[in-house]
Amino acid sequence: MTAASGLASELVKTSGFFLKSWRITRRNPLTIFEVVFWPVVSVLSVGLMTAFLGVTPETTVFVLIGTLAFSVLQVCQLDVAYVVLFDMWSKSVRHQFLAPVRPWHMALGAWLMGTLRGVAVFALLAGISRWAFGVSFLGAGWGPAAAFVAGLLLASAGIGLIVATLLLLFGVHAEVTAWSGVSLVLLLCGIYYPVSMLPAPLSTLATVIPLTYFLEAFRADYGFPSFSRSPWLTGYAVAIAYLVGGYVMFSWAIARARRTGMLLRLSD
Amino acid sequence: MATQARAPVAVEVHDLEKTFRAGWPGRQRTVALRGVSFDVPRGAIFGLLGPNGAGKTTLLSILATLLLPDGGHARVLGHDVVREARRVRELINMAAGNTSFPSSLSCREVLDIAARTYGIGGRERRRRLAQLLEQFELAGYGDTAYNELSTGLKQRLALAKAFVNDPELLILDEPTVGLDPDISSRIREQLAALRRARRMTILLSTHYMREAEQLCDDIVFLRGGVILARGEAGTLKRQILGGDRIAMTVEGEWAGLRGLPGVLGCHGDGSRVECTVDDARKRLPELLRYLVEQGAAVSEVSVAEPNLESVFIELAR
Repeated sequence: MTAASGLASELVKTSGFFLKSWRITRRNPLTIFEVVFWPVVSVLSVGLMTAFLGVTPETTVFVLIGTLAFSVLQVCQLDVAYVVLFDMWSKSVRHQFLAPVRPWHMALGAWLMGTLRGVAVFALLAGISRWAFGVSFLGAGWGPAAAFVAGLLLASAGIGLIVATLLLLFGVHAEVTAWSGVSLVLLLCGIYYPVSMLPAPLSTLATVIPLTYFLEAFRADYGFPSFSRSPWLTGYAVAIAYLVGGYVMFSWAIARARRTGMLLRLSD
Repeated sequence: MATQARAPVAVEVHDLEKTFRAGWPGRQRTVALRGVSFDVPRGAIFGLLGPNGAGKTTLLSILATLLLPDGGHARVLGHDVVREARRVRELINMAAGNTSFPSSLSCREVLDIAARTYGIGGRERRRRLAQLLEQFELAGYGDTAYNELSTGLKQRLALAKAFVNDPELLILDEPTVGLDPDISSRIREQLAALRRARRMTILLSTHYMREAEQLCDDIVFLRGGVILARGEAGTLKRQILGGDRIAMTVEGEWAGLRGLPGVLGCHGDGSRVECTVDDARKRLPELLRYLVEQGAAVSEVSVAEPNLESVFIELAR
């Protein structure tokens, strides 16, 4: 075998997972729903609701930031989970585990695809919010917007890896977590309300979710009060902890799947 | 490393054990392998035969590093399948019957993605893909989506994918299952030709005895996770079924046949005599010569060489 050497080989392996997602996604009718339909319906319905309720422009910004976060997070974490899901659906899981790749090749390749789609969702929703409701997500400048999206994408990687872990542990039974897991996170981190409104145990839980800090930091740039000392830094630190934890769990789940025979049960 | 690469043994399996646990908390146990040991010389085509549930796929999956053994150890091309799994993965590949790929990917895309996961870059990858599409007669289907391929083409794609990293050891788990005889035959010819051309080692599990007889240098029979017999097809037939059978109609004295060299037994029913010999081609002329010398009249001679299927049935009972 003539394989590329060193870094080039690692990049080629990673590109395999990115391209697999890209090629499947571009032909998948669900893509339109994931990247366009649901995010647009979501931002329009929430925006129209704020108009109907006659809330202040500030509150509209507050709520739409939450909607934006939900959509970006959902799409990106789903792409990371797709690294197992696509093969699970086609019963071809064993092929990628037969190759001499490491878990990070899979995770990074899939996350890059998630990043691409997440940024596309952000751009789409930013345009619609400005056009339909006069809300600009770039109002606080490119810097905060970029930091916010980067934080969301980082947090998505951690969540997606946890979902992929559950898929390798429980197979098709865990499929529902790919779509519902993120909703639980969003309930706790206050996408439509400040986390201070949550009952005490839940608001404590919210402090260990990175999205809580990213929402708080981005909203602070629009004049909303900040409860943490450095929400950006805390958010990134917690997101990185999730990423590391998610990666460790994902690697462990692969090893366990080799022991239990799950890789074979999910194949052919 | 270089010394290991020249080792004459491609696969060493020693006391391999595997039990699958199901239910909570793993109370249902299915023992798949019970202390399996064997070795495979480099360049051989090694057959694994056995009924469903014999442990063939489990064994091949352990050697392909898709499954971890509970006990024993296995080395592939000099590398431990547990401790040096990634190195093993670089050197081997696998194809199974009824293999699937994501349905919307084209043949070229399936091969391209597979090649990338082995770190094969740019120009080399394109050259390899073109060669494999040509070699497996898929050139006309390069851009056809997987779900639009016939069963035979899907199987050819699975085989092409298994050659993407030019493996030194190829693991084939029932590669011709569900294919029509013509395609199966062509795949067998292809495998034989590839083996000759590349001198690669092939581990093959199959339900088709003809396939095993045609391709395999050495065969093991597995049942219930245990090796029941091992050997070259001809040896196995003689060992298990007691040799070839020569039936003939004899008018005259024939009892002395029992004392001839290579004759394992003879019995008669009227003028119908059946002898079991170690090798019919070698012994038939000797038997006939003896009967003629005894003045017996011989007619209706038939030779029944036992086939591997009979061995399989005998061992699977």
